[in-house]
Amino acid sequence: MGTLRARLGVLMLGLLASACSSPYMGRHETQWNSLSQLWSAEQSQVKVRNAQSRVFDSSDRRRTLEAVVATFQDLGFQVEVLDEALGIVSGKKFTGMELPDTGFDPTYVLYDPEGLVVLSKAYRTWGPFWHRSDLVRLTVTVRTRNDKQLVVRASAQFHLQPVENPEPYQQFFRTLEQAMFTERMGVNR
Amino acid sequence: MSTEPRLLRSRMLPFVLLLLTGCVSPPEPPENLLAPSEEQMRLRNMQTRTFDVSDRDQAIRAVIAALQDLGFIIERANEPLGLVTAARFAEPRWVDVVGVTVTVRPQGAGQMMIRANAIFNNEPITDAQVYQNFFATLERSLFVGRN
Amino acid sequence: MKRQGRRVGAVAVSSIGLLLAACSTPTNPAQLFQLSSDSAARRASETRRFETPDEAELLSASAAVLQDLGFQVTESVRELGFLRAAKERSARERGQEIWRSVIFTISTLGLVTGSNTLILVPVDLHQQINASLVTRRADTDAYEVRILFYRVVWQTDGISGDQAIPPGQQRLERIQDPVLYQQFFARLSKAVFLEAHKI
Repeated sequence: MGTLRARLGVLMLGLLASACSSPYMGRHETQWNSLSQLWSAEQSQVKVRNAQSRVFDSSDRRRTLEAVVATFQDLGFQVEVLDEALGIVSGKKFTGMELPDTGFDPTYVLYDPEGLVVLSKAYRTWGPFWHRSDLVRLTVTVRTRNDKQLVVRASAQFHLQPVENPEPYQQFFRTLEQAMFTERMGVNR
Repeated sequence: MSTEPRLLRSRMLPFVLLLLTGCVSPPEPPENLLAPSEEQMRLRNMQTRTFDVSDRDQAIRAVIAALQDLGFIIERANEPLGLVTAARFAEPRWVDVVGVTVTVRPQGAGQMMIRANAIFNNEPITDAQVYQNFFATLERSLFVGRN
Repeated sequence: MKRQGRRVGAVAVSSIGLLLAACSTPTNPAQLFQLSSDSAARRASETRRFETPDEAELLSASAAVLQDLGFQVTESVRELGFLRAAKERSARERGQEIWRSVIFTISTLGLVTGSNTLILVPVDLHQQINASLVTRRADTDAYEVRILFYRVVWQTDGISGDQAIPPGQQRLERIQDPVLYQQFFARLSKAVFLEAHKI
């Protein structure tokens, strides 16, 4: 009787342990087929596409791109891709949400998101996301709509999910509009 | 009373020093750390080939196309420096990694010097056959069916 | 339901296969630099031709399509017609976790004899899906666009008896789904108002 209970206890522990071995693992959503992530969720796309795009009555791509870069800087994003002819600005930042209040966490600092995947030296790499889940990636494209208008589209990714609420994008465009206004006024930054 | 601590110190000192040197001294960098070795000079000939191509842009794009045909993933491409970095996991063993860095440099009139550094599991590849195969594929990409 | 069962079975077979492969003959790098028999077929599925002299527009539209698919642009070299984008998502799969609990539960039975026989199989946790795109001139007024979708998957930690398996084991997979490539080119075709011809 005693050993049976002990065995059952171990069984339960085993099931629990194997289901979720760490809170970090728990923060990853689970699914039946991981390849389903290849596709963007169509329903949420429709909801958020309007918020992600904004039409500007300007045909000056360079000025618009400069304003976008200025916005990146204002928001604390590190610009990593900047292509004027293609109208692409892309960057990332850490929100610092997971910095420990007291003390020093070396694993937080050791994180290297841009370690080129296939050139990692160890067979078992440390695992780039093992400790941090506060990475934000932002990509903005500027495309010509017609002779007098441009379309600016922003898309963001927070940790492992696309940002699909309209509010962050509204805030982004508010900052962008301010930057464009400043550009037009010719104020030196 | 006053001599005792001195005796103790003189007895302990060598042991302490030994301990300290064991834990503290970093290895000295060898003199030839940054010097090319004999083997690397020999490798350079294998890794380099000259092609009769006058347009550097075209040559770099042909390199990219050849690497893609071979199943490599292009990681970096730099036009001003004529540099392409690509890599792939070597099947069937997933633990093996093959990386290659290719540079394209103009050499004289109407010629390009293309050098490929291939790395297999962090060691440079010394097998000449590898480079021959690569340049054969590259030649196809440069001259067959493209302008 | 059948699909999940098949996936669980596939995980079992592939994990045994991986174990065996690790002990098998080493890779010959010379083979990797030779065109294989499926290179041509792969190139056909990954490439489409567009009748336009405007390469920048093709690249810009490709970036917009990738953005639509949820990708973030990570590299852009316009002079060489090279674009790379990444998408980080969760790779946790229920089938793998079920398999993991089953094996763990079975391995706990060995504890009865007193020896440590716990086995906790590492499961997929994190994936980075990448798209690597290249444009190349095919004719005076035509460009070819070639795109490659691949992903890197990282696994969790695990236990094998007394040995702890550290987290971060990674593997690289080329994404074979032809529908994805077709969808990408369909969207690109719409974005540039041109037909995507197969090569």
